[in-house]
Amino acid sequence: MTVPALEIKNLTKTFPGVKALDRATLTLMPGTVHALMGENGAGKSTLIKVVTGILHGDSGTINVFGENVHFDGPTDAMDAGIGVVHQERNVVRGFTVGENICLSKMPRKGPLVDWPEVKIQAKRCLDMLDLAIDPDTPMTELSAAQTQLVEIARGLYTETRVLLLDEPTASISVDEAMRLFRVIERLKAEGTAILFVSHKLEEVFEHCDSITVLRDGKTVVESQPLAGFTRDEVIDKMVGRALAHLEAPQRSVDMTTVPALALNALSTTAGHRNVSFELRRGEILGLYGLVGAGRTELARSILGLEGVVAGTVKVKGEDVRIRSVREALQKYRIGYVTENRKEEGVFLLQPITTNIAVTVWSKLAKFMGYVPAKDEQSLVAEQVAQLDIKISSQDQMAGQLSGGNQQKVSLAKWLAANTEVLIIDEPTVGIDVRTKRSFYDLIWKLADEGMAILLISSDLSEMITLADRIAVMERFVVRGEIENTHHYEEMSQAVIRLIHPTSTPAAGE
Amino acid sequence: MTTVMARVKKTAANPRVFLLFLIVLLVVLFGSLKPAFLNGPFVLAPLMSSIAIFTVVGLAQMVALSVGHMNLAVGQMASLGAMVMGLCYDVFRMPLILGLLVGLVAGAAVGALTGWIIVKTGVNSFIVTLAMSFALIGLVPAMYSWLSEGAAFTSKPAGLDLIGRQTFASICMGNTCGTDAVPLIILPAILIMGLVWYLYSRTRLGREILVTGSNVKAAELSGVPTGRRLMFVHTLSGTLAAAAGFMVAASVGSFTPAIGSEFMLPSFVGPILGGTLLAGGFVSVIGTFLGITLTLVIRKGLDLFGVGLETMNVLLGVILLVALSTERFRLASGGRRRGGERPSGEPAQTDDPDQPDEALKDPPESVQTEDKELAR
Repeated sequence: MTVPALEIKNLTKTFPGVKALDRATLTLMPGTVHALMGENGAGKSTLIKVVTGILHGDSGTINVFGENVHFDGPTDAMDAGIGVVHQERNVVRGFTVGENICLSKMPRKGPLVDWPEVKIQAKRCLDMLDLAIDPDTPMTELSAAQTQLVEIARGLYTETRVLLLDEPTASISVDEAMRLFRVIERLKAEGTAILFVSHKLEEVFEHCDSITVLRDGKTVVESQPLAGFTRDEVIDKMVGRALAHLEAPQRSVDMTTVPALALNALSTTAGHRNVSFELRRGEILGLYGLVGAGRTELARSILGLEGVVAGTVKVKGEDVRIRSVREALQKYRIGYVTENRKEEGVFLLQPITTNIAVTVWSKLAKFMGYVPAKDEQSLVAEQVAQLDIKISSQDQMAGQLSGGNQQKVSLAKWLAANTEVLIIDEPTVGIDVRTKRSFYDLIWKLADEGMAILLISSDLSEMITLADRIAVMERFVVRGEIENTHHYEEMSQAVIRLIHPTSTPAAGE
Repeated sequence: MTTVMARVKKTAANPRVFLLFLIVLLVVLFGSLKPAFLNGPFVLAPLMSSIAIFTVVGLAQMVALSVGHMNLAVGQMASLGAMVMGLCYDVFRMPLILGLLVGLVAGAAVGALTGWIIVKTGVNSFIVTLAMSFALIGLVPAMYSWLSEGAAFTSKPAGLDLIGRQTFASICMGNTCGTDAVPLIILPAILIMGLVWYLYSRTRLGREILVTGSNVKAAELSGVPTGRRLMFVHTLSGTLAAAAGFMVAASVGSFTPAIGSEFMLPSFVGPILGGTLLAGGFVSVIGTFLGITLTLVIRKGLDLFGVGLETMNVLLGVILLVALSTERFRLASGGRRRGGERPSGEPAQTDDPDQPDEALKDPPESVQTEDKELAR
């Protein structure tokens, strides 16, 4: 009988007012990939933080390869051979990629940092993920997904016997996730024990061997082989009650109307060439592509944040030239829900009222710019009710809300401004199954009410669930457009074929 | 009863209330130990006069802080504004209000130029305003020696002395006159405080400035013209600095190059003691006023006890440090208690949701993550 790589018994951790972990138990065997599932707030991240010594448990035991351990801090855990990729981005933005990867243990030459070695080590970690990033690149030049990948590379830096991955694939594309899974397979073959947290059921079912499910801090499924479960069963265990299977509603779009937004052979300073599509009212057009394909940049080009080199943008059939988000909003009623919620979507230190009313002040303003607080509050209250945003008061800071509610706030400001075209960039990154479901319902409802929606996502299953049509973008060019049949297998094959026209789809995809 | 207690506790936690309490305590203390402290025309009137001037100086800095910028040229902008005003009165014989307006426009113009450079070049406001202050330190005295005799403009338009050097005792209705303990110069200060308060708490412009300060990227992506808001803020800062310059000139009776030379440090003390965030996104006009008042009351009180200027400055430095570090400590412990160890994904429990100032102290997750990073 092999000794478990990591054995957690009856771990309890209490925060003021909340039991984040309630006698949680988990057994992680060497050479396996173990899925840790649960909704947001179920205690997954807390568990990982306790195991890595960032937080201290109230009671319970942790054994690493049969040896009882007490970690005072993250360095202790590292010395015991536990590597971790945290959910939050923990990179230092002012540093280079290489410095970030080696940050936990800088290679030294005497008292000085051994810079050539930093580069070699960083390169080794990046190569494992087939990442063509120069270790000297400053972090600030990376996209959100690349940052995430560097974060993963960091977890590979030290020799680890136990690797904890907290939602590593939340904001990376299928292609990049595939590279990650290749690394995971290799580490697994070498005997590393891997704990894998993800909200994406497809990934879990494809790559994991066993599963533990947490609900409200308690273990509801304890280290069982994954083979015995169906997707629906796992969801049931996570949310604690049967949740209807995600099924797209029957929708029909009137294709005879003038497109609410159309691009005609658009080329941009960001590098897009000949991008064309038409988006009608009531339609959800998916824009799918790998990271770096130029999807977010396309949204920015439409909003005037990148320059147009050739081609035209048409709003309701008329050629327009949009120069700023303000113009897009006020003149053409186009809104943009950013992929980067915390940095670009909400004002964390401002009240809910401010966060939602920011788009409508110019409309509410009376003589001398006076904005009546009452008008503002009633408008915000309307959105809070419509989107079912959980707040204790409008004066609450946005930073105090959960991720899902923050995302709703970042969407609500555009609904308050009566936009007709909404560009939604990665709407459900890091959001749990149940909240995701309510977001899907919301997006369908908005489309049914006549909103034209351009949905950008790197989550293929989300795309196949939500979109009416899918445009596939690669290297700043739209490779093709497919009607969505909502059959996962069929659609994912079609999408992969568009991205890799010459090669056959990769195994397992 | 418990709700009353909660309310009292909540109010006491507000930094503004704490400042007010300290001010009252010190005034009572100084007044009872040295009755001379309560002398109207010789102590209270000059004290209030400097409070009025430095409150406006503090506000000039506060508006820059509201977007997370700073204005190190606040004193030099004041001296430029005052110089232009002196020139208008001395050379062009303009009436009081007209000369004042021209001087304010000059302050606004130099502020706008500063703002324009910051927005267009993307260079940090610290550097741009530092450069601007050097340029003006050279320019203003040169202009004085070129345009005036004895490097000062001494012409006084009608009304300058009234606003700058007299008290309510000069305002009479029939036989009853006002008190000689309150100088008239508090009137422009109150007007300016009212206008700035109205801007930030009631108007679209003020709200847009605050969100720009809170997160410039998110503001831009929400349709706020952030560049224009940043330029406006620096324009306003220059205008308020010029107004403070006018108030100093009016209170001393002449326009000299020395005006504004001691503005810079106090301009930060007022807003910071009053709770304005250095990072931008939150301001307090009343707080700025109270912060300035506290430091000047301490200064005046110690002065009466015969404490020398050097000792006084050392003492003031210590008091400021203690005041700010207790505040900082309170912030940190409050943040840790409420939000610091919250499990991820759980919405935080707000103890007092209807108290935005309190809630502000709960640093958002991203800020904490950064803190953790630095600690590592």
